Amino acid sequence: MEGVEKVSEIKIQLSGINKSFPGVKALDNVNFSVRKGTVHCLCGENGAGKSTLMKIINGLYKPDTGQILIDGKAVEIRDPIQAREYGIAMIAQELNYVPEMSIEENIFLGRLPVNKFGKVDWKTVRSETIRFLEQEGLPYKPDQKLKTLTVSDIQMLEIIKAISYNAQIVIMDEPTSAITNREVEILFEKIEELKKRGVSIIYISHKMEEVFRIADDITVLRDGTVVDSMPAAQLTLDKVIALMVGREMTNVYPKEDVPIGEPIFEVEKLNCKGVFKNISFHVRRGEIVGFAGLMGAGRTETMRAIFGLDSYDSGEIRIHGKAVSIRRPSDAIANNLVMLSEDRRRYGIIPIRSVMENASISSLDKFFYGGRAHRKKEQEMVSEYFRRMNVKTPSLETLIQALSGGNQQKVLLAKWMLREPEVLILDEPTRGIDVGAKFEIYRLMTELVKEGKTIIMVSSELPELIGMCDRIYVMNKGIITGCLQKEEFSQETIMRFATGTQNVEVE
Amino acid sequence: MKNSKLGHVLEKYSIYIILVGMFLLCSVLNPNFLSSRNIVNIARQLTVGIILAYGEMLLVIAGLIDLSVGSVLALAGCLSIYSYYSTGSILVAMLVAIAVGVACNLVNAVLVTHFGVPAFIATLAMQMAARGAALYSTNGQNLLQLGDYVKVGQGSIGVIPIPVIFMVVISVIIWYIVNHTRYGRSLYAIGGNEAAAVASGINVKRSKYITYILNGILAGIAGVIFMSRVNAGLPNGAVGYEMEGLTAAIVGGTSFSGGVGTTMGTLAGAFIIGFLNNIMNLNGVDSYIQQMVKGLIIAVAVVFDIRSKNRKTRKIILVENSEKKEAK
Amino acid sequence: MKKRTVGMVVGAALLSMCFGVTSYADDAYRVAYIARAQEDSFAAWLADEMRAAFEEYDDMTLDVFDGQANDEKENSIIENCIANDYDAIIVQANNGEAQLPYIQQIVDAGIPCITTNPRVECEGTGSVDADPYEQAKVNCDLALEQIPENAKVVVLLGPAGNFHSNERRAAWQAEFFDKRPDVEIVGEDIANWNKDEAMTLMEDWVQANEHIDAIISMNDNMCAGALEVVKDDPAYEGVLAYGVDGTAEACLLIQEGRMTSTGLQSAIDLAQMNTDYVHKVLTGEMEVTDVRDDVPAPLITADNVEEYIEMYKENGQIK
Repeated sequence: MEGVEKVSEIKIQLSGINKSFPGVKALDNVNFSVRKGTVHCLCGENGAGKSTLMKIINGLYKPDTGQILIDGKAVEIRDPIQAREYGIAMIAQELNYVPEMSIEENIFLGRLPVNKFGKVDWKTVRSETIRFLEQEGLPYKPDQKLKTLTVSDIQMLEIIKAISYNAQIVIMDEPTSAITNREVEILFEKIEELKKRGVSIIYISHKMEEVFRIADDITVLRDGTVVDSMPAAQLTLDKVIALMVGREMTNVYPKEDVPIGEPIFEVEKLNCKGVFKNISFHVRRGEIVGFAGLMGAGRTETMRAIFGLDSYDSGEIRIHGKAVSIRRPSDAIANNLVMLSEDRRRYGIIPIRSVMENASISSLDKFFYGGRAHRKKEQEMVSEYFRRMNVKTPSLETLIQALSGGNQQKVLLAKWMLREPEVLILDEPTRGIDVGAKFEIYRLMTELVKEGKTIIMVSSELPELIGMCDRIYVMNKGIITGCLQKEEFSQETIMRFATGTQNVEVE
Repeated sequence: MKNSKLGHVLEKYSIYIILVGMFLLCSVLNPNFLSSRNIVNIARQLTVGIILAYGEMLLVIAGLIDLSVGSVLALAGCLSIYSYYSTGSILVAMLVAIAVGVACNLVNAVLVTHFGVPAFIATLAMQMAARGAALYSTNGQNLLQLGDYVKVGQGSIGVIPIPVIFMVVISVIIWYIVNHTRYGRSLYAIGGNEAAAVASGINVKRSKYITYILNGILAGIAGVIFMSRVNAGLPNGAVGYEMEGLTAAIVGGTSFSGGVGTTMGTLAGAFIIGFLNNIMNLNGVDSYIQQMVKGLIIAVAVVFDIRSKNRKTRKIILVENSEKKEAK
Repeated sequence: MKKRTVGMVVGAALLSMCFGVTSYADDAYRVAYIARAQEDSFAAWLADEMRAAFEEYDDMTLDVFDGQANDEKENSIIENCIANDYDAIIVQANNGEAQLPYIQQIVDAGIPCITTNPRVECEGTGSVDADPYEQAKVNCDLALEQIPENAKVVVLLGPAGNFHSNERRAAWQAEFFDKRPDVEIVGEDIANWNKDEAMTLMEDWVQANEHIDAIISMNDNMCAGALEVVKDDPAYEGVLAYGVDGTAEACLLIQEGRMTSTGLQSAIDLAQMNTDYVHKVLTGEMEVTDVRDDVPAPLITADNVEEYIEMYKENGQIK
């Protein structure tokens, strides 16, 4: 720490921060300081206290004790508006936007420029928005409604919005959880630019590769205390993970070799006009097959069509060599095909219902028969799967919305495991969940294929695809551009296929 | 955290605690309240409202609503009386009422599920159409001389009035449907997150149809009980009864945003409002003041309910955190 | 596309149906009758009787409009009728004050206008009414003799602020309660003209009071509701019950001896009178401003109920 502080001046310093909520101490004597013009990454599992700390900086929470210094001066940050006055901007993990409003309205939400008569100066709004959009290379019109944009572009907009405040301290909470690699590059360029301007960035991410790419300093939090804080150069990936989880993690990707069997699931010449074209692939027993590609490459759309959530125009889906007709998810489920959606909130959880109901919702035939409910059986089976998935929940009656993202994801996996499926489509199964939960999901995938099941994994995180898959199909603009065998795996190769610089006919 | 267990129980059963409190308060306020005849009275008065409340409850749990039930009740009741006139059979009359209720609600269901009309608008349209049909079919006049038809609403078996028997049987059936069928469970999923329910393999359209059909059956039965209780076919009767049903369901803890609600809660909600009306009538409270008090009580009950639910979610997050801590 | 076509066909069919109904003889006088609300059973009955009464005339046709118990709607219907150039307009106001300026417009347009049930006082119009005060008063005269000393009574009211309810209640106050200070009102509440609401009130009043001697109701519907509650209760045998309107149901109850009396507000008489006067005005026999009449409000009791039962049998309301 000493060395760090001498290199450049401290922009913001928090010392002796304590924060308790009834029944739990969220932050325990936390010291944290960020140098001017650097990126400071904050690592820790969910519940470690990162968000609480950031909310204190952003004025959403008041610390019980402790001091905040900005540019060496003691300050009190009462609310986010005041935080903004101190030059603090926060890009939240949960996107805050109004889907029915236009891009320009969203960017200037709450701070529309007005002339002296109080009339909104739409001309400035329009020209500024166009300037931002052009600068970021986003192909949208300023008056387009936000709901017509992709999640990744909305996130880029959030970042643009924060930057447009002229902030001196920018907090980014999982900024890359929903954007493509290409956009990550743009973001990182942006961050470099900000650093040059002397802006300090507090960066929270579960993606260790990113952290090590951009961090100047790293602070690791665990259970509300700072475990370590030092320049990134002095740390290694394994060391950080070990600090976060409190134990050494031997292997991030617990992939094991299992015997590969006959093709179980085949898709032939699946077409949907304007969405995807000529999709043909197959998956064999015991395989984990990855689907790589940029956001908007059509991977999720293809999987949704296969699972019966959307319709397709032509093509054939075969299970065990027999053509099946899947017109709605229940058809897929009846054929032992299940799909975990990329958008957990929208297509996954039923927030206000209990974890047990969320887990059993797709297996009601197993618990409701003979004219009555079999609650005990339901509790036993759900508990059993929760044990296997290592779901951490206070009780089966707990509402799923009260759980962390990782635990929610495990509950949803348990839901599908209850159906004892043969083929699982996992669309971004580890998005936005912490390292510990990620590891458990990888472990589970390994276990499943050992049992002879088959997994299709769609992911935007190349390291996890490379680490977990036997084969990887790459998609670009709605078509499969390549199929890579294990020995061909590399981030560069995948990106070449994903961006269309290389194209081979599959089969 | 010492009191958390007690607090949890209080929150979970808040509606029943209010009900018991209300009951005790009423007993103190008027000695006649506790008489068995008065209690039977209240049950009889509440029957139609409770039957409608179950329909609304099922719909609201699924994220739907029915604003037409008062009108549909009137239409079903009047047409059932006509069928009674011509056949003399109470059974036929009942079946006709149910058929009319189901037919109207099938239209609701088609509009909502196939044409994507918001339930609020679709059933508002039905509210007007069904009321118009009821008035048209009767020429706007009350139907009289119902004969034995009135037994459904006025008769009793032993000391228990027939409507109350209907209420009890229907309560049990609804409770069974909600708690012991796949359909019941799906309902909560649909109201909680429709897109997730679809992606979980639930046949959402079918469930919505079933819900409207059940609502139609209930409206039909309520129509017969209503008309026979008042000993007349009132084409302009039961105006605004959808609101009575909704109020009972909401006071009873059904969440207007869908996905939450229980049969027993709805029953309790209806009785809370029933006790309130009864005690104010017994004590001769001015009718303008009655309306003010009712509005206040509904607002207080719902605020109380929302607050206790919010507290519940919050606490559990902390329990999880502290458990995590202990584990390490 | 297909859906839209179907929709258009259905729409066109509906429109043609509507126009099909309103076909009128070219040489006849066109009269508009704007009813208060087709939902109100008395108003609906009156509209029916108006149609029937007009059948008798070859030289007049009647179009009936529904004000839907809504001032806004009723007013715009009046405007439409003026624009449509009717030869005469009969208005059953929903609320006299609210319709007054629009009735004035009818007069200004030079169209003969009769207000009916209730009467709206407006220069240049005629009126035919049934006096609500009188309808209640005929009951009061009987009740003065019948209701025992120190009796306990309950009072059922129509909707708050309703003209007819208020007038009838005023008659009971002036013609009965003021003259009989010994009588105690143990329950008085609004049942909105509704039978079911009256039942609920009566059920609760029966619990709260040892005995009730008389039911005083502002209309027959509510009176019937209250009687429904006590019909099998031996303690209430011979309970006195007074209503207003003279509905078919009330006549049946009087015939059975369960209801005491009601003041008739006869839709048949009202319709007949309106039709006669409007015909006379249109044919130049009299000036519209000279039309000012009330239908009689005869008291119906067990003594004369048979003749009214006959009347209802004739029009089909009683079988």
